[in-house]
Amino acid sequence: MRYKVLLSFFLIAIQLQFVSCSGNERERGEKYLTYWPAANQQEIDLAKKIVEKWNVIHPEFPVRMEPIPSGQSSEEVLLAAIAGKTTPDICSNIWPGVMEQYVEAGAVVNLDTMPGFDSLLTARIPETVVKGYSSSDGKYYQLPWKSNPVLFIYNRRYFDVLGIDSLPKSYSEFYEIAQRIKEMPIDDGLPLQWIHYRNILPIWWQRLFDFYPFYIAASGGKTLLKDGKVDFDNDTAVKVFEFFAEGYEKGYVSKSLLQMEDLFIKEKVLADIVGPWRVSHLAKFAPDLKYTYGPLPRPGGSEGPGLSYADPKSIVIFNNTPYPKMAWEFVKFLVSEENDRMLLDMTAQLPIRSGLLEKATFKEYFEANPGLKVFAEQVPYAIGVDRTIYLQEIFDIISQEFDAACVHRVKTPKEGISDAAKRVRLLLERDR
Amino acid sequence: MNRKLSLMGYLMSAPYIIYFIIFSAFPIFFSFFLIFHRWNIVGPMKWVGLANFNMMFSDPLFWTSIYNTIIFLLIHIPLQVVVALVLAEVLNQKIKARAFFRAAFFMPVVVSGVVVTILWKQLYSTDTGLLNNLLMAIGFGKVEWLTSTAMAMPSIALMATWKNVGLYMILFLAGLQSVPAYMYEAADIDGATTLQKFRYITIPAINPVIIMVLILSTIGGFSLFIEPYVMTGGGPLNSTLSTVLYIYRQGFSFYKMGYAATLGFMLAAIIFVVVLIQRKLIEQDD
Amino acid sequence: MVIFKKTVFYTILFAAALTFLYPFIWMILATFKPEIEITEITLLPSVFTLRSYELVFNKIPIIRSFLNSLFVSVTATASVLFFSSMVGYSLSRLQFRGRELIFGVILLTMMIPAQITLIPMYILMVKLDLTNTYRALIFPASISAFGILLFRQYFKAFPQEIIDAARIDGAGEFTILYRIIWPNSIPTLITVGIITFMGIWNDVLWPLIVIRKENLMTMPQMVTLFSVGGRAEAQLGAILAAATLLAVPVMLIYLFFQKYFIRSMATSGLKN
Repeated sequence: MRYKVLLSFFLIAIQLQFVSCSGNERERGEKYLTYWPAANQQEIDLAKKIVEKWNVIHPEFPVRMEPIPSGQSSEEVLLAAIAGKTTPDICSNIWPGVMEQYVEAGAVVNLDTMPGFDSLLTARIPETVVKGYSSSDGKYYQLPWKSNPVLFIYNRRYFDVLGIDSLPKSYSEFYEIAQRIKEMPIDDGLPLQWIHYRNILPIWWQRLFDFYPFYIAASGGKTLLKDGKVDFDNDTAVKVFEFFAEGYEKGYVSKSLLQMEDLFIKEKVLADIVGPWRVSHLAKFAPDLKYTYGPLPRPGGSEGPGLSYADPKSIVIFNNTPYPKMAWEFVKFLVSEENDRMLLDMTAQLPIRSGLLEKATFKEYFEANPGLKVFAEQVPYAIGVDRTIYLQEIFDIISQEFDAACVHRVKTPKEGISDAAKRVRLLLERDR
Repeated sequence: MNRKLSLMGYLMSAPYIIYFIIFSAFPIFFSFFLIFHRWNIVGPMKWVGLANFNMMFSDPLFWTSIYNTIIFLLIHIPLQVVVALVLAEVLNQKIKARAFFRAAFFMPVVVSGVVVTILWKQLYSTDTGLLNNLLMAIGFGKVEWLTSTAMAMPSIALMATWKNVGLYMILFLAGLQSVPAYMYEAADIDGATTLQKFRYITIPAINPVIIMVLILSTIGGFSLFIEPYVMTGGGPLNSTLSTVLYIYRQGFSFYKMGYAATLGFMLAAIIFVVVLIQRKLIEQDD
Repeated sequence: MVIFKKTVFYTILFAAALTFLYPFIWMILATFKPEIEITEITLLPSVFTLRSYELVFNKIPIIRSFLNSLFVSVTATASVLFFSSMVGYSLSRLQFRGRELIFGVILLTMMIPAQITLIPMYILMVKLDLTNTYRALIFPASISAFGILLFRQYFKAFPQEIIDAARIDGAGEFTILYRIIWPNSIPTLITVGIITFMGIWNDVLWPLIVIRKENLMTMPQMVTLFSVGGRAEAQLGAILAAATLLAVPVMLIYLFFQKYFIRSMATSGLKN
């Protein structure tokens, strides 16, 4: 009998798989939308609330929310979902840098065709930058949703200790403080050891939070490409590389693979490069920590508002959806004034819309959180990324050169930048 | 009767034939097809001739990853053989609590590689890791286990040895136990030294095991993935970039299926040749 | 002198054992420490807290992933035992044309490194619409060439008289295999079972590629992604707790069935 037991177990197991996988309620006529928000805790909580509200208003067409499945990056997971035809109907964590790939694959819905898209878009984005969100075929496939300008956050507890009265504006001011930290005696009872820290894993998207924002700040708003050609083979980029190289060389910056540990919360670093989302993160894990924000230092510390990388995220509707019209209704609901305010409250991320500082709904928020105001001012003009299908690979190349020239200094910053430029040119030419 | 049995033979080996066609033959033939194409799965497939091979031969990262694997093997295999042999030799003596020691040495073998990797990533951490804390406590300086190009791959090789040595210890132990006791007794009577006994009795007895360890470690080394994926992401300076990690990146981060298949093809060819050479060398030895 | 020598010997041996055990002990204890204490050198927490585990259970469906892993590994192992022994039997006890050819093919496929099939296998799964299903994990693992060889080897030595007697009694080949030979091959079944189970349970690369849906992920995959992705919010304690949850069940099973584990894994060396 033994083998029959095993055989029947095996058959049952196979049955179970089919039931569990193809048991799609949609095929049984149930109507609903699927929605993937980003997988960090704050955005999951926000999405839950928004979806709850929607489901009360639209019980006949509920939304099912599930955070983007874990992966090394959302982009990797989404591309796999497109390949495997397992995309959700709506996703709100789209990095504009990959849009060209999605469009080329025919994976996303052209939003121009949706009722009210034009007016919604112009209400959110000034005409001057709106073109940046179109695809190379001139059509729009994404709705810009939120921005997370990259900035410095400082631990205030150390300001007196270090004698800081104003935030560092230039590279030299910044490292002057770093030098003071380094000279502090080790057994002074303070955990402080470095000025800041970066994960040195050479993964392409890490550069979105060090080299890239610093380059935007230093160059006054340049991106990596211009008219499809390399636009970072210049002194400014070299200066940014030099800045990071100096930090690692003199031991100002921690070099651990610190992905697993939060040195800012442990107060071992003075500053951290973050987006405003950090506010809600700190409220949860270190409610007693006193901090303040500051713009990224620039080579000469010039005046004027400091630009940075906006880390924008867009909403798209995937072509696989059987209900594009209803999905669009949900997208409109997602970006309503009320929900944009909730985005601010719950995640401290900035909705991309004009009038952020004038409209009463948002004004009071920035009065209560003046530190974020400087970034809100930038939102309409925030710098995003270039429009090319090779963006991930370009960042991968820069990442490797950053690793070589800054972290390990086996070549000079100048060589690093010019090698990166050379390799990117080669990449761009290969397919022509 | 015989006819029926031979029919049963086909019937009962059919599962493997079906499995072979779907999961071995088809993928291998399909990879021959893929290596001449550029394809990101979601878009159209494009014939590119030998472009993928040209790209591969001029791709420094691919060859770096092969080089890294060789470095890994050169450290890992001798270390593994020596440590496993010593432990096996000790466990082959009449000692107390042998079961306990054997169980302890074997423990990392059964635990998932992911756990070991996460654990060692923390132990190795330069500024806050347990190993460096320990070194500092006894008055040494910090070692950049995973953050320096010189140390990162040796650190991973050391960890891999820690994880696998129990398995090879067991294999050696089986080899040692197959040596009849009278051979050592006879050697004692002839006045052989410990070293001589080791060289002329022990080594020949465990030679097959050494060959096995060599081949298994080689194949294992070329499949190195999870360790650099979790610990270093291939850094610093690509010094721990393994070939499988590089293929994964090309295939599943950038979706260059044709190119990734080409790299997989080449890697398989390299493994095949290396193992073949190892066998040839060993056969010559005998 | 002898006593001194023995003390030194056992001290060294004990230190060696500790090298293999201490990291696990440290990891398990660290999961009960407050986050701030984890990197400290002390072993015991100043206050005992379950916060790290709370974080893990709140953030990822770890129980679900455990059940997924269990389901996939058990199903695939059952399938390997069932089919591999079937094929092993036909290759050792049944005469038919092409038998040696099949045997040769099996040996050949074992010599071809798996890396070559990685990309095509993924594309196959995509084209068969199998990504994000348990089937994508089970089907490619449903037969093991190594298992076939081991069964073939073992069945060869089974007395022909018993098989002949059963055939005269009218028993079919399936009955002979599963009701007469199986009960007499328990050690081989255990060996193939443990090796297969451990292989599937611990695999990470393949699940990472074909499973992108969180409630279908295997446990090692989930723990890997938890440690490299942003979900853990840089909480080291939570990452170590997830790793501990992954390690402890296997450790316990190992401690109870040590003998079988060591014997089986030693056999895996015979592969080549």
